[in-house]
Amino acid sequence: MAYAYLFKYIIIGDTGVGKSCLLLQFTDKRFQPVHDLTIGVEFGARMITIDGKQIKLQIWDTAGQESFRSITRSYYRGAAGALLVYDITRRDTFNHLTTWLEDARQHSNSNMVIMLIGNKSDLESRREVKKEEGEAFAREHGLIFMETSAKTASNVEEAFINTAKEIYEKIQEGVFDINNEANGIKIGPQHPTTNSTLSGNQGGQQAGGGCC
Amino acid sequence: MGGQAAGPQPSGAETIQKLCDRVASSTLLEDRRDAVRALKSLSKKYRMEVGTQAMEHLINILQTDRSDSEILGYALDTLYNLICNDEEEEQDESEDAVTPIPASGKHKNVSMPDEAMQKQSDDLGAQFTEQFIQDPEHITLILSLLEEFDFHVRWPGVKLLTALLKNQGVQVQGIILVSPMGVSRLMDLLADSREVIRNDGLLLLQQLTKSNAAIQKIVAFESAFERLLDIITEEGSSDGGIVVEDCLLLLLNLLKNNSSNQNFFKEGSYIQRMKPWFEVGDDNSGWSAQKVTNLHLMLQLVRVMVSPVNSPGASASCQKSMYQCGLLQQLCTILMATGVPADILTETINTVSEVIRGSQVNQDYFASVNAPSNPPRPAIVVLLMSMVNERQPFVLRCAVLYCFQCFLYKNQKGQGEIVATLLPSTIDANSISAGQLLCGGLFSADSLSNWCASVALAHALQDNLTQKEQLLRVQLATSLGKPPVSLLQQCTNILSQGSKVQTRVGLLMLLCTWINNCPIAVTHFLHNQENVPFLTAQISENLGEDERLVQGLCALLLGICIFYNDNSLENYTKDKLKQLIEKRIGKENFVEKLGFITKHELYSRAAQKPQPVFLSPEQMLFDHEFTKLVKELEGVITKAVHKSSEDEKKEEDVKKTLEQHDNIVMQYKDLIREQDAQIQELKEQVATMTSQSEQMQTTVTQQLSQIQQHKDQYNIIKLKLGKDSQSQANSQADSQVNGLQTEELSQLREDLEKLRQQHTLLQTQLSDKDALINTLKSETAEGSAASDNTEMLKELDALRSRVHSQVTEIDQMKTEKQELLRKAEAVSSEAVSSSDGSLDAAKMAEVESRLAAQTSETERLKEESKSLSKSRVDLDQQLAAATSTAAILQTEKAQLQTEVQESKKEQDDLLMLLADQDQKIHSLKQKLKALGEPVDDEDDLDARDQTDDDEEDDDED
Ligand SMILES: Nc1nc2c(ncn2[C@@H]2O[C@H](COP(=O)(O)OP(=O)(O)O)[C@@H](O)[C@H]2O)c(=O)[nH]1
Ligand SMILES: [Mg+2]
Repeated sequence: MAYAYLFKYIIIGDTGVGKSCLLLQFTDKRFQPVHDLTIGVEFGARMITIDGKQIKLQIWDTAGQESFRSITRSYYRGAAGALLVYDITRRDTFNHLTTWLEDARQHSNSNMVIMLIGNKSDLESRREVKKEEGEAFAREHGLIFMETSAKTASNVEEAFINTAKEIYEKIQEGVFDINNEANGIKIGPQHPTTNSTLSGNQGGQQAGGGCC
Repeated sequence: MGGQAAGPQPSGAETIQKLCDRVASSTLLEDRRDAVRALKSLSKKYRMEVGTQAMEHLINILQTDRSDSEILGYALDTLYNLICNDEEEEQDESEDAVTPIPASGKHKNVSMPDEAMQKQSDDLGAQFTEQFIQDPEHITLILSLLEEFDFHVRWPGVKLLTALLKNQGVQVQGIILVSPMGVSRLMDLLADSREVIRNDGLLLLQQLTKSNAAIQKIVAFESAFERLLDIITEEGSSDGGIVVEDCLLLLLNLLKNNSSNQNFFKEGSYIQRMKPWFEVGDDNSGWSAQKVTNLHLMLQLVRVMVSPVNSPGASASCQKSMYQCGLLQQLCTILMATGVPADILTETINTVSEVIRGSQVNQDYFASVNAPSNPPRPAIVVLLMSMVNERQPFVLRCAVLYCFQCFLYKNQKGQGEIVATLLPSTIDANSISAGQLLCGGLFSADSLSNWCASVALAHALQDNLTQKEQLLRVQLATSLGKPPVSLLQQCTNILSQGSKVQTRVGLLMLLCTWINNCPIAVTHFLHNQENVPFLTAQISENLGEDERLVQGLCALLLGICIFYNDNSLENYTKDKLKQLIEKRIGKENFVEKLGFITKHELYSRAAQKPQPVFLSPEQMLFDHEFTKLVKELEGVITKAVHKSSEDEKKEEDVKKTLEQHDNIVMQYKDLIREQDAQIQELKEQVATMTSQSEQMQTTVTQQLSQIQQHKDQYNIIKLKLGKDSQSQANSQADSQVNGLQTEELSQLREDLEKLRQQHTLLQTQLSDKDALINTLKSETAEGSAASDNTEMLKELDALRSRVHSQVTEIDQMKTEKQELLRKAEAVSSEAVSSSDGSLDAAKMAEVESRLAAQTSETERLKEESKSLSKSRVDLDQQLAAATSTAAILQTEKAQLQTEVQESKKEQDDLLMLLADQDQKIHSLKQKLKALGEPVDDEDDLDARDQTDDDEEDDDED
């Protein structure tokens, strides 16, 4: 249960692109062909390992409809990562990416890592958006990109984990202020943040005192 | 009030108008500030006037005088006074006393009753709130003012917004929800270092989160759980004051009926943080009212996480972590502690109930808990003692019953253990057992105990055929000298003695649960000659209102006797009982009486949730699980009673057809399974053959390249041989040439040696291949279940024989080469001898003849070489043939694969057929069901095959 870091994610994108299915596949390793429409926001969580460290992901799956947009906006500020999802079999969902991205950039903290996801890669025969187009969009806007299938689980793990890796690297580089929880990052309970005082006490008189 | 200056006093309204004018038109900030302050001081006494006249001006101030926190503070305070309906804190009015004399008519009506005054005040608050929020921008304005750090602004801002939310919750929530970062900003209040603001922030968030799931989730997202739990700890947990209570109330708002937040709470490991809340020492010196309130809320929070209305999966994982972190153990400690206030104890029992409900691990733990008495007694026994004790509070007894029910819910092991305490072989005479207590309760003089014990015992039998049968063995000793009587018998005896309604209802529910779905118990029940006459008498009589429920339950019991009757008692077969109903009661009458159960006013209440909650002890009539049973049986029994024996025959027929259909389906299933196996086998064969043909192809390629090498070498030999004969012809003229010839010959010899080696190599390779082909052949022979394989086998044979002939030919070539070599050697020795010998004529002649012979030999060799190369060409062709055979093999394989595909498609068709068949059977079953026949819905095989199909069909989306 103990974790080194906790990252908060949000999943955004048009309705029906498979956001809830992606979350379910990631947290429960299953696919639900008939999925309920998400009302507002739903929560899910899972533990992953990066660089030998346990990282807890807390994920908020949002509703894509316009009417919930303002609710969704409340989640940007506190998220460290966002999965922006479109459906490769529906071009309109790809066309709406710009709007989503603008919204996200406007309301989030500037360091939020955004992963662009082209979902439903299993439906190759019905593809309307080429992989290259997704790649180009991601390159143009500085996003990471992946095509996934919530149905076959292809790349689903990778999408969530690679986003975490990117955040983790940003932490290592000192880009993220990890002490400000509003950034969607929390240091785990057993993380040695106050190492300085411990190493300062090498004399050992206080060693037996036991810190909290 | 007479001390004031003479002259006409300005009325309140006039004063307020003047002040409003000053607020609106004065260019001096100080002047405006004073005017707003004056309005504030009047705003309570002249709420109506200030509200109607000044509100607009006040809002204007909020918009335009943003830089002066003092004036903002006054304006916000004034608005608060207008909107807030609670008369709580008296403002410090003495300092800004600008009190004009109220106009006589507007004096507070002292005689007005409090209630009416409150009503008037509420109306005003609602009216001003409405007015204020007409423009949603006003709420946004307050939200932006809350970002002002100044205490004079933030604090009244918080209070104003709270009051607005209290009056018009839904609208204000809606506005805050859509204003950017609105909710998040309010969450920041919890981080304010000034306690007053933090505490009032808590009250604001309570109002904000009331019945609004979207806001609740955002608040949780903004780390509310973390903050609130921290505050609770800082404030001393259950020993803390009202702030702890406010935190707990907010937590309840966030978690109640919000599965997403519950999941977040669980995943955030916050359940673990609840455990220390319940570490209340055994000394319990102080149980202040606040502590009782706090603990009550804490227990409620635990219950929210494991409520039976949550999804079973969610509750189960919370139950698990509550055990793992020791929370359940902590609760059980409170359960067994002394000096705990009764209502906390009751709520703790209810909480433990829901923490263990349906969770085997937790139930097992609970069964192992002992009370710290001497000797230690199981907690279950101690609790049951309270349940059947008249002196205990009613709610506590209900809680114990609930706990017992939750302990037995989906707990076959626990049910077995309880029933075992009643069985002759396991009775322990030295200690009080659960079974003893239940029996005691069943037959005590207290009807509440009767009812509770009946229901408790019924829960030990729920869905458990084994225990229903076991309980039939229980014998009770009555009075001395009389033979023991069975528990079943004793229950019916008491039933017929006409005790209290509550007692009889309890016993009838127990009997119904007991014999339901248990033909042996039905037979036992019917075996007692008095039972059926008693029931028919009860049902047929025209009794008063009070007896209706009992009549209904009697009808249900009789109905079960029909429905689960195995016709083993001649006097009480299904048919006989039905005839009895027809004759003695009348079908319609019977059905009407049966309907009395669900028509009872208390029935639907009990059906709602598992916890037994009753407004008064007299209302304790229905058990939740029992309502489920009634729902299940009412329709079936009605149909069973209405059905004639003809109908039943028809039903039998349908059943038979159904069985036949089932058989057909089974056959199809077998067929499909067989075919599946065949396809699998074929697939494997194709796979082996593919790899075999691949192997063959590589061998053939190797061979080809070797043959190419040989061909090259032969060409070289041929070339050299040609040179040889040429040079020999030359040597006729010049013997010096012989030296050259020797060189060439040794070269030739070397080449031949190489060739020989290569041939040996080739031969071993060929024999390897031979062996391979042999194994291939045998393997293929093994795997040739399908006719297609024989084809392949033949091809392989042909291939093998061709390779064979190649080998022989190569052998032949080898011998020929050997001969060639020998001859070449001979030539060289001649040449050598001729080179060092003296050239006499005879010798010359001999040499000449030898040379001639040699020449002819060379000629012949040439011929041979030619034929050899020809045979090489043949060999080449054969190899080509072998290659094409491999190609054929591949085509063959492809064909096989298509066949497999077809076979699969066939299977799919069969599956479709099967689905149709299933559908038909389903509808037949439905029909049967409609006829009221019990139909086994769960055909495991069906279900499994169905899901298999689904998985296969998933590609179509
Ligand atoms: N074939 C396929 N269907 C998918 C995939 N992901 C989601 N779906 C389907 O798309 C529909 C919408 O999915 P949902 O997760 O509810 O979308 P959301 O509105 O973005 O949450 C559902 O019918 C899913 O079964 C996928 O990767 N492949
Ligand atoms: Mg969704």
